[in-house]
Amino acid sequence: MTDDTTESTIVDGAQLLEDRAGDAALESPNYDGEFDAVIVGAGLAGSAAALTLAKRGLEPLLIERGTYPGAKNVFGGVLYTPTIRELTDLDGAPLERYIGEKRFSMLSHHDETAVSLKPGDWHREPHNESFTVFRGDFDEWFAEQAVEAGATLITETTVTGLIREKGTIAGVETDRPDGEIRAPYVILAEGGNSLVSEGAGLKETESRENIAVAAKEVLEFPENDEAIEDRFRLVGDAGVSYHYFGEGAVGEAFGGGFIYTNDDTVSVGVAYSLEDAATKRQSPEETLNLFKSHPAVAPLLKNARTVEYSAKTIPEGGAETMPDLVHDGALLVGDTAGLVLNNGVHLEGTNMAVESGYHAAAAIADTIEGDGHLSQYADALEQSFVVQNLERYAWLQERVEEDRELLFERLPTAIADASTEYFEMDRKPKETHAKAAKARVLETVGGLKGATKLALRYRKLVR
Amino acid sequence: MSVSPRIPDTDIQNDSMEDRLYTVKYDDPGDSHLDVKVPSICADSCETADCVSICPADVWRRDDGEVPTIAYENCLECSSCRFACTYDNVVWEYPTTGSGVSYKHG
Repeated sequence: MTDDTTESTIVDGAQLLEDRAGDAALESPNYDGEFDAVIVGAGLAGSAAALTLAKRGLEPLLIERGTYPGAKNVFGGVLYTPTIRELTDLDGAPLERYIGEKRFSMLSHHDETAVSLKPGDWHREPHNESFTVFRGDFDEWFAEQAVEAGATLITETTVTGLIREKGTIAGVETDRPDGEIRAPYVILAEGGNSLVSEGAGLKETESRENIAVAAKEVLEFPENDEAIEDRFRLVGDAGVSYHYFGEGAVGEAFGGGFIYTNDDTVSVGVAYSLEDAATKRQSPEETLNLFKSHPAVAPLLKNARTVEYSAKTIPEGGAETMPDLVHDGALLVGDTAGLVLNNGVHLEGTNMAVESGYHAAAAIADTIEGDGHLSQYADALEQSFVVQNLERYAWLQERVEEDRELLFERLPTAIADASTEYFEMDRKPKETHAKAAKARVLETVGGLKGATKLALRYRKLVR
Repeated sequence: MSVSPRIPDTDIQNDSMEDRLYTVKYDDPGDSHLDVKVPSICADSCETADCVSICPADVWRRDDGEVPTIAYENCLECSSCRFACTYDNVVWEYPTTGSGVSYKHG
């Protein structure tokens, strides 16, 4: 390391450009060969890797294409923090609300059938490690933790390709003047739109069957300061995670809708199969509007104003479409490695990104110390919850897609009808209503035989 | 149930696309980071224009038998078009030197 790079560890890319253009060119930092590892992308996986390397006494360079870490990042809204808490102190982290209630809701066109979970324990620290955050705030804070530990962060700089020397990946090319930066190891934490990794042949472009498209709005309630507390029944820092499935949430597509509460805003969105968006001509904008207009959703969002609209793609191929994680001189982490779990009730990605960044950095640190090999990253990830969870539910996605019409269209309507029947107040005996309600559901699933078949088909869910 | 349920009034006011995009901070790089690889594929072979149906920001627009126009300054950088195009005919590059969208609440 030269002195100028250790002293100024957050480098504004625009400043760098000016420096190079002027007389200061000779004094501006030359990063080529100065770092132990280059990390492409200062999202959660990238900063976890940078922080881990820095804590091991190594010197990582974290390159971010946005104006600040998190500027290019979108997610649903709930961050799971167990691994982050191992890496750094969460006091002072920009968290919005902890999740005090999880609600799962089936929407037909006009009906809602919901299950709500409010364990008292979630109100106690560490709040089941589940918090709403904004990536623009949190990712910047997390990257700062890495910088404080000794990492160097450079923003507004886009990695455009990888340098190969004698078959080994030996650094990155950037859009900056003299933008080649050689380093012994590269961690690709560029997200699911993995242009650098794909360009270098480290992974294939994911097929659209395995991609979800998501559109989100953050909404505020300018006329009503108490709207969020009142409508979602919140006290203090408690918040909610509402998940919605079925025709009323995302039409004929495979996917779901969500509402998460932040401090003074709510995040509302839909995420569903890109294949369905294309073949059923169902645009994200229309799908989001449809969801927000559902009679069970609309009252929660009344008189809201849009603070920000955003969109993203999610790699949902799971265990079967994971690319090779370890390459000669480079490791793939986070969304770039396809590490997202969506089994209907668990929607996770940020925790897996952080875990993968940690293990990738640990493998590099061990290798540098002469005590390991890059391939131990793949082993460590396989033994961690990340790959174990993906493998546990690898069978699910395909099966649910096969049963989509039954599960998301006919069954929600049948259950809503059966509930209406079961609770109907008239002068008939309860037995009559109970029988009719049961018949309504059985008719939909194909009788007792069909119900048994369906239960067997999904028995592994509760295994 | 054959009875049609009575639905509460759902007078949700959804913003127009224009208003939605107005909420997103955007720095124009001056050049499009999006393009089509082979224009004739769009014009002659593609009948579905999936890029148009799936884009959350109305970036892609197309008249029948034409090459799509690209309103790249609307782009939310979600990359849906790149994955959705069955002809693999989308050029998608990261906007350079910090340009493009900057989300605060992503």
